[in-house]
Amino acid sequence: MAKLTVENLTKSFGAVKILHGLNADIADGEFIAVLGESGCGKSTFLRIIAGLEDATSGAITIDGKNVTEQGPRDRDIAMVFQSYALYPHMTVKQNIDFPLELMGLDKAERERRIADTAELLNLTPYLDRKPRDLSGGQRQRVAMGRAIVREPKVFLFDEPLSNLDAKLRVQMRSEIRNLQQRLHVTAIYVTHDQVEALTMADRVMLMNGGRIEQFAPPLELYDRPASVFVASFVGTPPMNLVDGQMKAGTGIAALDTVFPYDAPTSQDVTLGFRPEHVRIATAQDAHFSGKLLSTENTGDRLNLVLLVAGQEVRVSLNERHDLTPGDIVACRVLDDHIHLFDRSTGARIN
Amino acid sequence: MSTQSKHALSVDRTLLAFLFLAAVLTLGPFLWIALASFKTQIALLMGTTKFTPVTMNYDEVLFGNTSLFARNFLNSIIVASISTLAAMTIGFLAGYSLLRLRWPAWVVNLFLLWAVVFNLVPPVTLAGAWYELFRGVGLNNDTVALILAHTTLHLPMSLWLLSSFLREIPKELEEAAFIDGAGFVKTLWRVVIPIMMPGLVSTGILVFIFSWNEFPVALALTNNTSATVPVGIAKFAQENEIKYTQMAAASVLSAIPALLALLFGQRFIVKGLTAGAVK
Repeated sequence: MAKLTVENLTKSFGAVKILHGLNADIADGEFIAVLGESGCGKSTFLRIIAGLEDATSGAITIDGKNVTEQGPRDRDIAMVFQSYALYPHMTVKQNIDFPLELMGLDKAERERRIADTAELLNLTPYLDRKPRDLSGGQRQRVAMGRAIVREPKVFLFDEPLSNLDAKLRVQMRSEIRNLQQRLHVTAIYVTHDQVEALTMADRVMLMNGGRIEQFAPPLELYDRPASVFVASFVGTPPMNLVDGQMKAGTGIAALDTVFPYDAPTSQDVTLGFRPEHVRIATAQDAHFSGKLLSTENTGDRLNLVLLVAGQEVRVSLNERHDLTPGDIVACRVLDDHIHLFDRSTGARIN
Repeated sequence: MSTQSKHALSVDRTLLAFLFLAAVLTLGPFLWIALASFKTQIALLMGTTKFTPVTMNYDEVLFGNTSLFARNFLNSIIVASISTLAAMTIGFLAGYSLLRLRWPAWVVNLFLLWAVVFNLVPPVTLAGAWYELFRGVGLNNDTVALILAHTTLHLPMSLWLLSSFLREIPKELEEAAFIDGAGFVKTLWRVVIPIMMPGLVSTGILVFIFSWNEFPVALALTNNTSATVPVGIAKFAQENEIKYTQMAAASVLSAIPALLALLFGQRFIVKGLTAGAVK
């Protein structure tokens, strides 16, 4: 249980700058997901918190204590690796016992903790097996066990579910979340899977090119993306983003139409709206209409791709329509679901 | 029988033939030596195939008044064991440094390349220089000199082999150990070394055997009392006669430590020990 603070953290490998001054305040017991594409610096960020990499500048404090210069073993953190990193020559029990032995706990206490952890993770029948005799899901649980048995201040997860199959991944997602809530341990979870991040975390730190684009609760990322990058990253299918002109007093001109908006000034903008916030409308109500290029029916949703004013626009409907490519479809964007971004900086303006 | 299984059968037979050939080529000479060691010198030189086995060659080699074989054997054990231990320790730590301390790639490649190229230099060309060097520091005819020379001679091989075994160990395992609270020494001792055991044992056996059999440098750096087994065996070839059968008996005896090492080591050389560590 601990509060973790990151101040102005930077990291360079030679001349290449990987992290550009990250700041974050993470509350005690909070579950943070660090989300981003590969190469955005999220794993480096985690490894610096773990003490496996040195920061170039900046500070990390855990419970008010500056740990920036400390090695991993003095930070009281536990980490679950993407590859699990189980010790192959040790049994499950020895794997879980290893950190306890290094803590110098007495035998009885170690036995008690191992038994509790094994019970919690349904590993009791496998304690005498070697990692090679376990399934992927079981190995994952041993890695979790080795992390939680120490009762560390902070849990770090480096894409822990990416080696599991889809079904198991969904199951482990909720197991990890439940476990974290039960143990009430501060957790930082790195992933490139937005569904994992949005479903598990209290807050999501979305990273891009070594910078934090937005650090907010999952729904805020979806409802009020702070930048064009966030808007395009979060949500499936992704948000429609089109060039537009904001005109003071009139609205937003885009897609050969004008979206009503109480515009204070005039400027170039990027207009965004989510496919699921578009409805099929009558000719009078419609904001725009376009030629249907393709349809995709997932059973619960009908996804359309329209050609509107020379640009592709995605629409995702939760009711069924009998449409064929070539049809002209008239659409309306739901009120209050328009996102506006400064076209040059990409920052949100509404 | 289908054509396919006929084909498979003929492939099997061909492969079997190669295995047989390999067995004959490796075992044949050894068997000839082993048989020779139980013959009398006359029986051997006459080329007799039927003979009454005698143990006199062994008696002479082990207990003969003029034989220094027991002494040679002890010297070999000392030289091979200590130089193997030294070459392994230095090779392991140097390899660890090469692979883990973020050296530029060219440094790593140059080192490993040199480790291979070094073996192209015939050791005998170094023997003269070493002889002068050790005489200069008062270590002539001393086993210490041979231990140092063998360590140098076999360090490149040890470094090269151990580096390739180290390379197989995922870095995350060490990182996991650091996070679990282990320091550097404990991580090596409890995680890296146990996982590398098959590689350490096979490298150790190889270096030991190389040192055990090394002849030209040992010949240059030792005298009668500090000679190792190969030098001792060579001395059965004297000016007036070559004691072939005693030589054979000594050769058979000298193979014993290597065989023991292999039998002992086999337990450790289990494949796929890292299975299940990552992925």
